[in-house]
Amino acid sequence: MTSFTNKYVLNLLRNLPRLSISNLRNNDGAVKKNKRGRAQHGGDKHGHGNKGSKARQNFMRPGYETGNTPFYMKFPREQYYKDHHVKRQYPPLSLTTLQKMIDLNRIDISKPIDLSVLCNTGLYNINPEDKHFGVNLIDEGADNFKAKINVEVQWASEPTIAAIERNGGVITTSFFDVNSLFILINPKKFFQRGEAIPRRMIPPDDAILYYSSAANRGYLADPEKISWERFVLAQKYGYKLPKIEDDPDYDMLVSRKDQRQIFYGLEPGWVVNLKDKVILKPIDPQLKEFYRS
Amino acid sequence: MLLNCLAKQIRALPSTFTAACRLSTVAVENSEFNEIEEPPMVYGGYTELRQAWVSNLDTIKENPSTIIDLHPQVFGSRPRIDIIHENVVWQKKYKYVSYANTKVTAEVNMSSKKPWPQKGQGRARHGTRRSPLFRGGSVIHGPRSHTTHFYMLPFYKRVYGLTSTLSVKLIQDDLHVVNNLDIPTDDPGYINDLVDSRLWGPSVLFIDDTDTMPKNISLALNQIKHMNLMPVYGLNVYSMLKYETLVLTVAAVKKIQERLLYQLHRPDGHQATRKFMLNKQN
Repeated sequence: MTSFTNKYVLNLLRNLPRLSISNLRNNDGAVKKNKRGRAQHGGDKHGHGNKGSKARQNFMRPGYETGNTPFYMKFPREQYYKDHHVKRQYPPLSLTTLQKMIDLNRIDISKPIDLSVLCNTGLYNINPEDKHFGVNLIDEGADNFKAKINVEVQWASEPTIAAIERNGGVITTSFFDVNSLFILINPKKFFQRGEAIPRRMIPPDDAILYYSSAANRGYLADPEKISWERFVLAQKYGYKLPKIEDDPDYDMLVSRKDQRQIFYGLEPGWVVNLKDKVILKPIDPQLKEFYRS
Repeated sequence: MLLNCLAKQIRALPSTFTAACRLSTVAVENSEFNEIEEPPMVYGGYTELRQAWVSNLDTIKENPSTIIDLHPQVFGSRPRIDIIHENVVWQKKYKYVSYANTKVTAEVNMSSKKPWPQKGQGRARHGTRRSPLFRGGSVIHGPRSHTTHFYMLPFYKRVYGLTSTLSVKLIQDDLHVVNNLDIPTDDPGYINDLVDSRLWGPSVLFIDDTDTMPKNISLALNQIKHMNLMPVYGLNVYSMLKYETLVLTVAAVKKIQERLLYQLHRPDGHQATRKFMLNKQN
């Protein structure tokens, strides 16, 4: 149901009797009665012939060819989808959508943007149970992207990085383990549990290369190399790299999370008490040592 | 029938229409509703803004003071009769518990003796007279008591049920807006005369934004069985259709609009549309 209403429909109602409980009815065929027909109304065998496997709901499994070697077993396999159920997925978010969220005040760009902010808009959501490991910022709408942002994503392509940096923004790709993702996408639910914020785990073996590469703006990469790669990318795409040092929002643009940190401004080991609106920090040296990054 | 309707509509217009128009322009200058600067109404460009006269209850004769803008997504939405019907059926059913009951074989109050010997009588073999085959015996697949018919209508069907019903009521001239529910006397005859002269009703539902209603109208309507008062939080499809005329105060209109527009456009709609759980209510 959209905001579009045909005025003739409403005007028609002006000349019809008053709508009341007694003259209401549903659409034709909206309620389907699942009745077993009797006699000539589909009775006797109920459309299932006389005896045999088809009368007894003996459904063959898919691909089974009643004794022949099934087609799917005749040839050597090419496992395109091998391990698909354990592969990490990154549901995409386009730069167009991000720009639209910013234009419609769904996102405040005076603060760093992370997955938590994106999920809070209500327009983007991930489900870690479905092997979603965060957001993939895709380059659709890169030419029209105009915002200066400090964004932390989980996957980004080269044109996306270029589009953000051309506007004087900063992009970081960073990894979150499943537990941290659940906390990040719904912080309120986690804080209500009254547990200490855990440490973020380091990436698995097959992801560590991606997240320590300066070309991908990985969060484990050397900052010196990242600033070199920023210059290289500007040369490659032919734009003048804005100087972050001279920017009035310098502090916002350079703020980054620690490798073990899940939220901006909140360290691992802290407990956020929503009821009393206080933050409890560990004082025990053993705990401090445990949560140290 | 149609002629009657038309005649009613013509009579329902204020007696001196031009005078009323003049009145409204005068009222705009010192009306209490125009004192508060409100943000402009945002709505889809394809739909026309709906409007209604803001009338009064303190005189029997109608004295419309100003015009109120009604949001087309709430008061001019697509009239989905099927959704209204589903809402009414749901409202009837969710509180309904069927107490119809029949007995199973073990519950039938009858002798458990074998009626006749197994063999030698030339009759069919039977072990008990409680069987469904016998007269007075049990019933197969009969109703069993306390069967609840509770179910939850999908969230947005409930929202669209409200917008559709409000839109239908407005377009059929069964929705009226008044500035407040203050009447000068607690005599039920006053409100009867008022409803008669304005061709409302006969059954009327008055809706205000709070549940502490003015004293006079509460006492007056206490005597009249077919008129009722309701706060905005009690607004529902069944009651709107049960009463022929719906009278909203300006405050109620504002609140209904605000609440329904929020529900129509809330960003966390997926939270509202989750599966309904009795022990996990939002």
